[in-house]
Amino acid sequence: MRQHDPGAAGTQVTAGPPATPRDRRDRSRDRRAGRRAAADNRAAYAFLTPWLIGMLVFTIGPMLFSLYLAFTRYDLSSAPEWVGLANFERMFTTDPRYFDSVKVTLTYVAWSVPLLLAVSLGLALLLNRGMRFLTGYRALFYMPSLIGGSVAVAALWRQIFGEEGIVNKALALVGIEHTSWVGDPNSALHTIVILQVWTFGSAMVIFLAGLRQIPRELYDAASVDGAGALRRFRSVTLPMLSPLVLFNLLLSVVNAFQAFTSAYVVSNGTGGPSDSTLFYTLYLYEQGFAQLNMGYAAAMAWVLVLGLALFTGFLFLSSRYWVHYGDER
Amino acid sequence: MAHATLRTRPLLGLGLGLLMTVLAGCGQSLPDHSADELRGRGDIAGGIRFSWWGSASRNDRTNAVADLFEAEHPGVEVRREAADFGNYFKRLNVQGAGRNMPCVTQLQARTLGDFTARDALLPLDPMIESGAIDVSDIPEAVLDTGRGEDGRLYMLPTGAAYDALMVNETLAEEAGVALPEPGYDWDDYVTFLRDAAEGLPDGIPATALRGGLPNFFIAYVQGLGEHMFDGNQLGFSRELLVEYWEMWEEIRAEGLANSPAANAEEPPSPEASYVASGDVLSDNRPGNALTPIQGTLDGQGEGQRMTSLPLPSGPAGQGNVLITSGLSIPRNCANVPTAAAFLDFWANDPRSGDTYASDNGAVTNTELLRRQLDDPELPDLKKRELALYQRIVADDPSIVLYPPGYLAVFESAFTRAYEDVAFGNQTVPEAVDTFFAEANDGLAR
Repeated sequence: MRQHDPGAAGTQVTAGPPATPRDRRDRSRDRRAGRRAAADNRAAYAFLTPWLIGMLVFTIGPMLFSLYLAFTRYDLSSAPEWVGLANFERMFTTDPRYFDSVKVTLTYVAWSVPLLLAVSLGLALLLNRGMRFLTGYRALFYMPSLIGGSVAVAALWRQIFGEEGIVNKALALVGIEHTSWVGDPNSALHTIVILQVWTFGSAMVIFLAGLRQIPRELYDAASVDGAGALRRFRSVTLPMLSPLVLFNLLLSVVNAFQAFTSAYVVSNGTGGPSDSTLFYTLYLYEQGFAQLNMGYAAAMAWVLVLGLALFTGFLFLSSRYWVHYGDER
Repeated sequence: MAHATLRTRPLLGLGLGLLMTVLAGCGQSLPDHSADELRGRGDIAGGIRFSWWGSASRNDRTNAVADLFEAEHPGVEVRREAADFGNYFKRLNVQGAGRNMPCVTQLQARTLGDFTARDALLPLDPMIESGAIDVSDIPEAVLDTGRGEDGRLYMLPTGAAYDALMVNETLAEEAGVALPEPGYDWDDYVTFLRDAAEGLPDGIPATALRGGLPNFFIAYVQGLGEHMFDGNQLGFSRELLVEYWEMWEEIRAEGLANSPAANAEEPPSPEASYVASGDVLSDNRPGNALTPIQGTLDGQGEGQRMTSLPLPSGPAGQGNVLITSGLSIPRNCANVPTAAAFLDFWANDPRSGDTYASDNGAVTNTELLRRQLDDPELPDLKKRELALYQRIVADDPSIVLYPPGYLAVFESAFTRAYEDVAFGNQTVPEAVDTFFAEANDGLAR
């Protein structure tokens, strides 16, 4: 097939064999095709324009502006003042709360992501065993995913894990006494981890769909070879599900790094008690909108973006060693 | 490639053009006020936006006053924006950045510095000189709480609150302890807690743990005749704060206060507090919370009574300071005459005073206050609250000039540093050092 070269027509000056009638017909057809393609392009751009404008105005523009702000001192009212790398220097050298927020966030990610994946996979395996009312159970288990990130549920969580909450009342029945779980710096973060794990529904539905796609013959063959339940899980289920494990892992990690609402509500917006729930995003919000250090907040946001990019990049790179797409040779 | 560049260039240009237009439009330009407008003179017409903070009951009262103003000036529309205290100022910061603050903006003396430092407010003095706003019935000392560092008035104080020691009288009687005498000091306060603890039922501490409450500490500093701030830096010594927190640690160690964990999970609103539910004997709460706190106690059905006392005094006099709230007009307001008329109406019209009924601190207009005290319909509890205000004002309370960033920096750091002490993460001297470093650094920014 001949490649269309829109620049060729009318510009060829080098000597060559004289054009035949067939060549002229071909060129004419090419020009018509080129015009059609250009018209198609114009239509495509016209349809894309609203999205492009939205992307530029509401995403790319603010992102570039925040990148600029990251190198400035900006209090929202006076003009930004260029300070070079001062915001990053402060972040990494003189702001102990910054490191507290990083530590809290990493601890949260380290606990909530594996737990969420384990619970969602475990329940998906349970539901995949062909029980009655499966659709009902699936909907029931999915519901927390819809409401788990809401302010109302976070407020409810505060009550459940409070000093007089039902958790302490239940523990009292078996003789265990505990102070407020959300008021104690040693346990406040874990209550938020539990809230996050409770929203296992969406990951579970994805795992369930994946489990249904695993060919039955693989399990039969493994059984014939003498594999027990654990071995079948390790050698058939996990490898076949690994693309979905990667998918859920990436989503959970990104969500966990950006967690905000639950910590904001549980700590009354302070990150307390004693900074034990000072998530990165909460501290960023406090710096930007309460202390009006918008330049510093922008710098924090970009460090988070870079950190997340590195982390997800590492996951993608490592995935070649543990994710199986079934098309390996 | 050359063709691709030629095709994308117009798109890139269009995109950058749009971006510049949007960025340029992010902040509105300030209106060019005439000299008459700056004096609050002109037609009282058109629309103004009005923002305040508060609960649902305060919203009802505030809306009722705005309705009265609209009825007084047909054709004027007051568009209203309410929020809870915590979120109100965050929203106002964003509105301030976009030069989009409501024409009548409620502020508090503690936050005034945040806005005067940004030159976001119009001085009200020319409007007072022209007679557009009448302040003749507001005591000078109260009026001064609305002034900026340059001495000009940027907020018309309309309500004066104070912090008070709320004591559950019924529990105190059952514990066999008398309430602290007028003029009591901090030693008397701790003695009162100790005596009360001996007679209180198990599980009811004598006080909520308030070592991290800035207002209580301000009373301690004022009682000693020291200064809270020296410009944009802390004005008191490290030793003073060490002494104060060590006193609270003694209170905690003796079991006179509730646990730091219980304290950390306490809901912020007075009506949901432990003192309101009868779970602690006493607490430091805003004086105007006496009525809602008693309301919660009444709901318990145990017939308990709440009373309020001034905060402890010191060698230099009373510790109480007035925390005023009031109304300001931002520079971005395009309808200054109507905004000025609204401020005047709010501060002076008897119908306004009767309707609002000192919901956010005692009304600062002495005439309106007298009307409320004389009103046989006003609940007795509210009259006690207003009488305590009069008592505090009569003792000539000190005025604290709060630096910009007070709420966001000082209060947050103070509470957190004491939490670190109470949870055993830091010793008192370590926490004091951390607090001084953080507060001085944050306030200086």
